[in-house]
Amino acid sequence: MKVFATYNIKGGVGKTSTAVNLAYLAAREGQRTLLWDLDPQAAATYVFRVRARVKGGGHGLVTRKRPIEAALRATDFDNLDLLPADFSYRNMDLDLDDTKKRTRRLGQLLDTVTDDYDIVFLDCPPSISLVSENVLHASDTLLVPLIPATLSLRTLEQLTRFVADSEGSRPEVVAFFSMADRRKRLHREVIDAIPRDRTRVADTVIPALSIIEQMAERRAPVPAFAPTSRAASCYEQLWAEVRAT
Amino acid sequence: MTSPPRALQAADEGQLELEAIVAALSARYVVAAGVRQRIRRVQVDTFDRRLRAAGLTLEHQSTASGERLVLGRPDGSSAAAVPVADLRWPAPADLLPGPVRDVVAAVSGIRALMVASDERRRVRQLELLNEDGKTVARVELDEPASEAGAPARLTVRTLRGYEEQAQRAVRILAGLGLRPVESTDDRAPSSSKPTAGTDRESPATVLLTRALSEFLATMRANLPGLLDDVDTEFLHDFRVSVRRTRATLKLGRHCLPEAMRTRWEPDFKWLGDLTTPVRDLDVYELDLPTMRSWLVAADPADLEPLATHLRSRRTVERRALVRGLRSARYRRLVTEWQDELDGLTDTQEEADREHLSSGRLADRGIAKAYRRVARGGAAITGDSPAGDLHLLRKRCKELRYALEVCAPVLAKGPRNRAVADLKGLQDVLGRFQDSEVQRQALRGFAEEMMADGTSARAVLAMGELIGHLDAEQDRARREFDGAFALFARPSSQQLMHRLGGGR
Repeated sequence: MKVFATYNIKGGVGKTSTAVNLAYLAAREGQRTLLWDLDPQAAATYVFRVRARVKGGGHGLVTRKRPIEAALRATDFDNLDLLPADFSYRNMDLDLDDTKKRTRRLGQLLDTVTDDYDIVFLDCPPSISLVSENVLHASDTLLVPLIPATLSLRTLEQLTRFVADSEGSRPEVVAFFSMADRRKRLHREVIDAIPRDRTRVADTVIPALSIIEQMAERRAPVPAFAPTSRAASCYEQLWAEVRAT
Repeated sequence: MTSPPRALQAADEGQLELEAIVAALSARYVVAAGVRQRIRRVQVDTFDRRLRAAGLTLEHQSTASGERLVLGRPDGSSAAAVPVADLRWPAPADLLPGPVRDVVAAVSGIRALMVASDERRRVRQLELLNEDGKTVARVELDEPASEAGAPARLTVRTLRGYEEQAQRAVRILAGLGLRPVESTDDRAPSSSKPTAGTDRESPATVLLTRALSEFLATMRANLPGLLDDVDTEFLHDFRVSVRRTRATLKLGRHCLPEAMRTRWEPDFKWLGDLTTPVRDLDVYELDLPTMRSWLVAADPADLEPLATHLRSRRTVERRALVRGLRSARYRRLVTEWQDELDGLTDTQEEADREHLSSGRLADRGIAKAYRRVARGGAAITGDSPAGDLHLLRKRCKELRYALEVCAPVLAKGPRNRAVADLKGLQDVLGRFQDSEVQRQALRGFAEEMMADGTSARAVLAMGELIGHLDAEQDRARREFDGAFALFARPSSQQLMHRLGGGR
């Protein structure tokens, strides 16, 4: 089972869009795929029309009072299941803090479904927290969407340091540009100037396209409702790049 | 874990009325009906139904919009659907797309995947949606594309986390008078082990005829796959049936007509000999990956010329095999052998022959075969030539076949233990003899390859293999005394006594 996490300290950079679309593409290939919506805002859960409610809440999952299997929901797409968000996930840091091996608990929970899935995506909330530390330990690849702006590069540096400083196994960090607008000079300059020696940066750039914003309206991944669109082809390209990691 | 899909059909196996189904389900759900489309469903499995035995199903679906492979897992819910193109059957599992390949190859092993059933249907998918527009269950209306097809059926598919919705849909459909479809078992004949159902007092000819008929059925069942070269197991199973036939004819010499010895024993020897060269080459090809791992000084790639040589030799030998199996002689053999078996139990000649019960045949046959193994094994010394061990291996096979053919009249427990005891000795003798034969064959291949101008590296690598086989043969020879002592130990002898072998 391979675990990808879409993660960034900043919000609104395309984490959920990436998680939803790449999870859909993995499932379309025939990989048994799980998407865990860890963000209490529940955007990924909303896209898949699943109710943002987990019996027992985040506390029930983290303390293992409720098995993870009981919370899983099939999406409308073959091979793709969702572990929905719950508003109680806003307290997940506190729940994790009360457990033994508090930075490993999410990984331990995923171990219980390792026979059921080939690929897992974690859609993370924007923060540096105990949840983030858990995500680092649980994932094999950290997918970091970046808006092409100077501050984004600073954020990537912080994130790279955070990963490097963490104990134990560390995921591979793969950054990529998201919501890019090549008409803007600054975007072009940042994309060209980003240092690629310390962190792997994917060649694929996800452009800022209105069709990606339509996901919330259509409540489906882009390749499902607009399979021949440019956005769908960009996500396919990105998936082809990162799945081999 | 979710429950597997539930299939329902009309009580009279007649047509299903879509309007009535949609109306009933609409009382509880928003029903989104897809367009009716033609679908070709090809169920794929190995010839011996390994996927089915493992609880897996593999279906190749073709519609106007594309093709996909659908893998059903034992829990029924976690099916994987993968788009495919240009997939033709039979095919080895290695050719399947990644996620399906990993699961299927682990189960299918050496066997190729082939068509188990092929149906053209018309399907219509109904999505049952809740108030959020989320699909909570799927219902598939599946009708035959022609009158000859299986009756129309409805399949309710459970979605993970929405199990109660599928149950509710089934209850609604049951209210329309639909009933569950009974599953059918279409296991193919692949094993040539005789089935039970004969008692000790019945004439021995009944026991023998039943066994011989089953061997013939296995030969016939494996012939198409053998001729098409689907996988190497078709030839292997065919040969096993021929060997068992020959051993059974030998076992029944006392009570079978004279023609068995004068005509059929030589005919089946011909058939066995016809199939030997290709099987030997199959074994080398199958063993090549293991042989590569034996190399210490040489590079595994150095064996590539050997692999090429084996393939080209096999092509030539297979041509001769196929010619033989398509010949008038083979066709006559099978037809007349069937006639012979049909007439075996009801001829006057049978009444004139020595009357022997099945139980007595088993006692005599096992006793004789056991004595020959016991004597042959005791006579083996450190100076015995390899030929003596080869002869003993043949005697062991005769005892093994006697235990298998007579299985219907033997107590199951003691028979299984006797086979297990014998197996240990057979394994050692098999390793000894295989090493001997393979060493000689490799020398022969090396000479042929050198005549064709092969590289020195290939010959040196083959030399290493011969060295390894030599050491393996020595190891097996050293283990022989222990294996024979175990076979001949008092408890094993008592077991044979109970089975008739000590009489």
